[in-house]
Amino acid sequence: MEAYIRGIGNISPQHSWGNVILAEDIVSYEGNRLNCIEPDYKEYIKPIQRRRMGRILKMGVSAAGKCLRDAGVDMPDAIIMGTGLGMQGDTEKFLKAILDNDEKFLTPTSFIQSTHNTVGAHIAVMLKCNKYNFTYVNDNLSFEGALLDSMIRLSDDPSEKILLAGIDEMTDSYFCITKNAGFWKEDISDNLGLLKHAGPGSIAGEGASFFIVTGETHPDNYARFAGIDTFYKPESDKEIDDFIIAFLAKRSLSLDDIDLIITGINGDSRWDSGYFRLQDTLFNGKPLAYYKHLCGEYYTSSSFASWLAAGILKTQSCPETILLNNNEVNKPIRNILIYNYLRNTNHALILLSVC
Amino acid sequence: MEELIQKLKEEIIEVLNLEEMEPGDIDPDAPLFGEGLGLDSIDALELIVLLEKNYGIKIEDPKDGRKIFFTLRTMAEYITEHQK
Repeated sequence: MEAYIRGIGNISPQHSWGNVILAEDIVSYEGNRLNCIEPDYKEYIKPIQRRRMGRILKMGVSAAGKCLRDAGVDMPDAIIMGTGLGMQGDTEKFLKAILDNDEKFLTPTSFIQSTHNTVGAHIAVMLKCNKYNFTYVNDNLSFEGALLDSMIRLSDDPSEKILLAGIDEMTDSYFCITKNAGFWKEDISDNLGLLKHAGPGSIAGEGASFFIVTGETHPDNYARFAGIDTFYKPESDKEIDDFIIAFLAKRSLSLDDIDLIITGINGDSRWDSGYFRLQDTLFNGKPLAYYKHLCGEYYTSSSFASWLAAGILKTQSCPETILLNNNEVNKPIRNILIYNYLRNTNHALILLSVC
Repeated sequence: MEELIQKLKEEIIEVLNLEEMEPGDIDPDAPLFGEGLGLDSIDALELIVLLEKNYGIKIEDPKDGRKIFFTLRTMAEYITEHQK
């Protein structure tokens, strides 16, 4: 069960529109919230369509358009999305209108755009794509669900070209509520120095990472998703270790075959200890990396990590800013393991390999 | 009347999020739907809500909307006639 990445379209707080991250383009932010660098939407969305779209919808439609162009695909065989919050902005707008107007004067636009599957549905309408269309909403495993579904479909029919995505936005209201819940650091001055700011909380982020995946090999493929698995609330360190070892063994690999491990370290001292334990034990001696200082914490951030890994495998070059330790990244870089969890509840492993 | 038309232009731009238009771009005598501004059925619902919310005018029969929302001027005339 494999999924080759044929095309990419990525909008993130970094200059990711060019598909491969460059060390000199890394963007530094002040404060505890990272917002996406949005492209010029005019190239991808007509004004008459754009005027009614919320911010995340514009991001999704543009990233999808870029991804399809990059892959040379006009019509995908399936659209499979993952999102933790869906159209959060329009949902808030609609709910606010209900409260402000005492349940009267409700307009349709924000209502019809307030469902989680709006982005996937809108892309389908624009493309006139009547094929399989599914949106997974499952906290920080939303992208993982979409990826697993894509890989299962490709195991049945490797010729399919599937539009796969992870997408979430950070709105002012959601940021404020989660800030009050202690999700974000209060005193951080620089996202690139995330790990220097010890203590609870992370930095908020958002992004829209789109991939065209297929079961067919091609010289233009970036990399391939070689495995995905998840586990829930592990009760012991041994359970985590055993799961990681078994995940690799199922794919006839061991940790010796992994050239880089990208972890979901997010600077929150309450939860990061799980990653640091692995650094000193199971992952000892391996080059470790992290990515949430670049994109922030959000439910589908593993799609950003997947984009990052695909770029590293394609270019055989790893930006130093993501490296956690001094262990050398051996070339050629063949296999990258992404290990991400949120508040020690939903854990996920994604394996990306060179084509 | 001209003052109301100007006000409506600004309200329509805001409500329908016509982000690339200025009030001066809207011809008060051009059709709002189809060939003119190119509005659609969702916009019609937005305009019905605008009339009720901003001017206290409730359109009981949606079929009347075709006449009321034909142009910006017909809309302004309807408001002038029916506003309490």
